[in-house]
Amino acid sequence: MLRFVVRRLLLLVPILVGLSLLVFFWVRALPGSPADSILGERSTPALVQEYEERFGLDEPVYVQYWKYVQTTVKLDFGVSSATHRYVTDEIKERFPATVELALAAMLFSILFGIPLGFFAAKRHGGLFDHGSLFVSLIGVSIPVFFLAILLKYVFAVRLGWLPSVGRIDVTSEVEHPTNFYVVDAIITRDWATLKDVLRHLVLPAIALGSIPLAIITRITRAAVLDVQNEDYVRTARAKGLPPQTVDRRHVLRNALLPISTIIGLQTGLLLSGAILTETVFAFPGMGSWLREAIFNRDYAVLQGGILFLALVFVLVNLVVDISYAIINPRIRYS
Amino acid sequence: MSVAELEAVEVQREAPSGLWRDAFYRLIRNPGAIVGFIFVLVFVIAAIFAPLIATHDPVEQNLLLIANGCCPGPSADHWFGVDLLGRDLFSRIVYGARVSLLIGVVSVAIGFSIGLVLGAIAGYVGGIVDSVIMRLMDVMLAIPGLLLAIGIVAALGPGLKEVMIAVGLANVPIFARLLRGSILAQREADFVLAARAVGIRRPTILFAHILPNSISPVIVQGTLAMATAIIDVAGLGFLGIGLQDPDETPEWGSMLTEVNEYLQTAPFLALIPGTAIVISVLGFNLIGDGLREALDPKLRGR
Repeated sequence: MLRFVVRRLLLLVPILVGLSLLVFFWVRALPGSPADSILGERSTPALVQEYEERFGLDEPVYVQYWKYVQTTVKLDFGVSSATHRYVTDEIKERFPATVELALAAMLFSILFGIPLGFFAAKRHGGLFDHGSLFVSLIGVSIPVFFLAILLKYVFAVRLGWLPSVGRIDVTSEVEHPTNFYVVDAIITRDWATLKDVLRHLVLPAIALGSIPLAIITRITRAAVLDVQNEDYVRTARAKGLPPQTVDRRHVLRNALLPISTIIGLQTGLLLSGAILTETVFAFPGMGSWLREAIFNRDYAVLQGGILFLALVFVLVNLVVDISYAIINPRIRYS
Repeated sequence: MSVAELEAVEVQREAPSGLWRDAFYRLIRNPGAIVGFIFVLVFVIAAIFAPLIATHDPVEQNLLLIANGCCPGPSADHWFGVDLLGRDLFSRIVYGARVSLLIGVVSVAIGFSIGLVLGAIAGYVGGIVDSVIMRLMDVMLAIPGLLLAIGIVAALGPGLKEVMIAVGLANVPIFARLLRGSILAQREADFVLAARAVGIRRPTILFAHILPNSISPVIVQGTLAMATAIIDVAGLGFLGIGLQDPDETPEWGSMLTEVNEYLQTAPFLALIPGTAIVISVLGFNLIGDGLREALDPKLRGR
């Protein structure tokens, strides 16, 4: 087990080096020099020269890369040209919002996806089965932002049940020590705020969770169909175990293996989808932040944000791989 | 032609045509795939014959139409109503199919061909070449697809060609991985050993023997990638970073950008372009699923 973890951690090294190289050269491929990009509209020849000397942009590329790695390792991504704040500080505010949204979306897709797929497999070929296949097909075919707009139209604009924008009521003046609003509200036992925050999460989470929901439903269905025909399930039935026990202890437990891998793989999709969902709901997370950065040509934010999200993605996949190896001993030796 | 070569050719011709013919019959008996074909056909016809189908000029603004508030809904003259600038929505949807199809096909072709070459080399050559290529693919996969596309568009600037490259490059690692995997599985197969034994050169073995046998999962992936490409293009358009001038080139995703504030008064402005995206994407997904089942009968009903 330890060997597997070490090997997996070592594999991380080339990926991180490659990622840093990619982002480093990406910034240099952007229109305008890095100095221009970072300085933005304030750029003048004198400023550019000062900036280039200060950040060593007149030095050879490999020296520059090394310096870039050194600052990046310290999670110093520079200053946003739009807000003049440290990118790292903005990430501290924005990232918790996206994490809350992504977790809520994942929770939604797991809570509905696994039962949906399970019962579809149990009634293989029946009406419920076809219905679940149809729903999951629509789920992967509908663009996240269109579903978000639809949900907003029906539940916020038409019915007025839920708020349509933001993360919290605009008049709220509650302090947020951790920036995880749900956690903050629970710590301070502020139940009114908790309710408000959760209400703001519902629609974005459903929109963002639609694709994982569709995929989890499909995989669960396929996995349950597979496992159902295994010898050990037949044996369990033959020895007279109650059907529910067979389902719980033999079918579902083994079907969970492929499902858990898929759940991990969805992280990337969630991050991509967050950019679109957050834009529709004006949700102040990483996604809407990056979108603004594109419009403001705020390259410090883009560079830092993309690198940060990619890092998160790589780390989440690492955790998923390792936990998968813990659940499924067979994988360690292959 | 030696006897060995003659037989090699024969075997190669017989086996795939049988597989493909069977797959074809299975495909046309699949109702889902048929519906998919119809959706895609509508989409392709709209794209190709856009100038004939469109009832108005898609970029002509008619501000008189929206003088009494935004926006008049569907009518006899404007089947899908008019948009915020008084342009005919039906014509814009029809022309939008053109942009989506063009970008979809070209970007999948880019992703497919680069991924094919990289995956084939990695899988067949192996060793250090394999490691270098696949680590590079891992790095690309480490960046979520849309984010990667945004980064590429940011570097290249907005425009039709740039979006194609961005969406295409984001597809490369997926195809490369798929192909490498299936070539690795084929490399030790008996027919490869036989081809090597009769002295066929390595590139020929790769392109004439291994690739045709590894291609079916790639074709399925290609169809599904079309669906993803259409969604990605619409996503970029929606974020307003795809095309240089969304007013000049009607694009489905960008049609949804500004209508956010008009949901109360003119919901059809969002519903119609959105439905167009869903139908075309659904079409490719249905065909992709149908192909997967047709090419791998073990998956039936899964």
